[in-house]
This record gives sequence, C-alpha cells and structure tokens, in this order.
Amino acid sequence: MDRIKVTAHLLAPVVTGGGYMTFDGLLAALLFDRLQDVDVAHAAVPIRQSDGLFHASAAIMEATREHVAFIAALRPDHSIDPDLILKNKHGQLHRKFDTSLTNVMNSYALLTAPTVTWYAEGDPERIRQLVEPVEFIGKRRASGFGRVARWDIEPDDLDGIEGPFGEPLRPVPVERFGGDKSHPVVDAAWRPAYWNPLHRTACYAPV
Amino acid sequence: MLDFFNRNFGRFLVEQSGNPVADAATALSSGHTMRKGGRPQRIASGWAIVRPGRSTMQFELAAAGIDYSKLTRYEAFLAELEAWDGTPRMFLEFAKRPVPVANLFRTFDLRSIRICSPTGVETFDFTQPPEKDGCKIHKVLWKLKKGDK
Repeated sequence: MDRIKVTAHLLAPVVTGGGYMTFDGLLAALLFDRLQDVDVAHAAVPIRQSDGLFHASAAIMEATREHVAFIAALRPDHSIDPDLILKNKHGQLHRKFDTSLTNVMNSYALLTAPTVTWYAEGDPERIRQLVEPVEFIGKRRASGFGRVARWDIEPDDLDGIEGPFGEPLRPVPVERFGGDKSHPVVDAAWRPAYWNPLHRTACYAPV
Repeated sequence: MLDFFNRNFGRFLVEQSGNPVADAATALSSGHTMRKGGRPQRIASGWAIVRPGRSTMQFELAAAGIDYSKLTRYEAFLAELEAWDGTPRMFLEFAKRPVPVANLFRTFDLRSIRICSPTGVETFDFTQPPEKDGCKIHKVLWKLKKGDK
C-alpha cells in the first residue's frame, strides 16, 4: 500500500447533498455498481483499513459554495408516507388515490472549484483502474454536473487520516484520533456505508 | 447515535423492538396519545431537545419520562446552549412532515451546532456571529443572545 494524492480536474461544478465525500466512499460506490453487493464492494476497496477505518481522506476543495434546487416530478404511489394518506372505510390504504405527478424540490450544495483532492493509502494501480473511467462525480451527474477532465495519482506523505498539522482529514472516532484535538467533535459516519445512521459516532472531522 | 435518541427520547413514545432505525422512525412518524386526549397525533410542530437522561419537548404528549415546555424553539435552544454542560444534545425541529432518521445528528460542541428538521440539518458555529448567507436559526439565536428583539 502506497501513500498517494488523487486529484480530479473538473470541467463542471460538483453537486452534493452534503457529507464528506471520502475517497473510500467514492471507490465503494464504483465497486457497488459492478458487484451489486454492499459488503463485497466495501471489502474490495483497495485502500488500507485499520479496524474498519479507511485510510482515505474526505474530498478537499477550495470551492465557492451555492445552494441549488432541482425539481423532480414523481408519482407519489410508492414514495409518500402511508400515514398521510386517507384510509378507506375498511381502514386500509387506498391503492391508488391519485395518478397526477407530484413535484418534489431537492436542495443541494453546488461547489465550484478547479480540482478535488483526496489523500489515501492504497494500491495506486487498482485505484487508477477504478477512477480513470469515471467521467462525472457527485449528484446530478446525468445533468452534466461534476464532469471530470482527468485524474492524477501521485505519491504523497499523508496517510489520509491526519493532515500535516494534525488536523483530521476524514471523520475519525474520538477514541481513535491521535491528532490535534482542538477541533470540534461532530456526529459523523466514520465507515461506509456513510448514509447509514448506525455508522455515526462522535468523531473529529474536517471543518 | 440512534441509541442516544431512542434511550433518551424514543423509548418514552414507542416500545423498543431492538431495531434502532425502525424504532426511531416509528417514534418520529407515528401517532402518539396527546395529553389533552383525543385521537393519537404525530409530532407535527414544535421542538425537542434530547439530553442524556431527561429530554424536553414542546408538543404536549401524554408520554411520561419527557418534560414539556411552552418556550418557543428559539428561546429553548438559546437557553440550552447558554447553559450547556458539554454533554451531547440533539436539537429537533418538527413540522408537518416527519423528521427522517437520516437527519438525526447529535451536537457535541458549540462550534458545530446541528439542528435536525424534516428538510435537512443546519450546522453553525455558535461561538461566532452568523455570516451574511448563514442559516436563519443561527441569525435568530445570535440576535436573541445579544438581547436584540
């Protein structure tokens, strides 16, 4: 396993719903697309792990930040909370109470920057094979956001967990962090799947 | 994180099944008996502050084990932040839509306050004044802190 710096050179702003966009999360998502199994995908991430903690930083961007919203037109049949739907006289849910489209507005952050950088400790060749075909990152990729011109992978000194001044480069559980503890403690997922609230704990994390 | 929510708040509202995600989701989205009587209602307005031990909320349910307060959300959050003992908190804002479990986060530090609501999570540094484009709740709390009306 080598210590590396990965840079995505961007051609378009990145849309994100929040979170730290750790590099292991990105690779796990790419692997999941191929393997269709969450646990297998996480096990195949070519990055060093220490008791479940991946040596891979959060996304580092010197970006301008704006709020954006997109409208999605959805049929509500399967998405609406059943508690909100009027029950029929037998006390059961109407199977179809409405066939019209419902517009849902989703809010995101739009990050504009020339590059996104990650630090990690892993297998550079396997990482290159995974990321080189990736042309878009973030959300709203089908709309052209997050377009990547090219990927650079180069050797570096950082391990993906602590920065040069001891600052956290990714969410690290409080009891496992050996760096600068003057940073605020936050509730954050420290291992994939990062969307799973059960993976959240008190962490030092990038500000 | 969900253990904190369920242990200090959720268990007073719904029986615990051992599935923390389902238990938290049920507490936030199902109907509960009201103190005033009538049909069970979902928590559809007001606020809650989940603390280790004893939590407080505004929406007056019949559930024992929770304290009830008539303060506004801003008054309650400000009082909590100004008298905070440094132990974890969870700040919740309720509305017609339930708060999704994915939006539940604890707060550990005044420099990273997290307000959980149905529409998302607001994060701000309560030791610093709000930025021009900062979130509304930070601006309101900061004004109240300074004594502005």
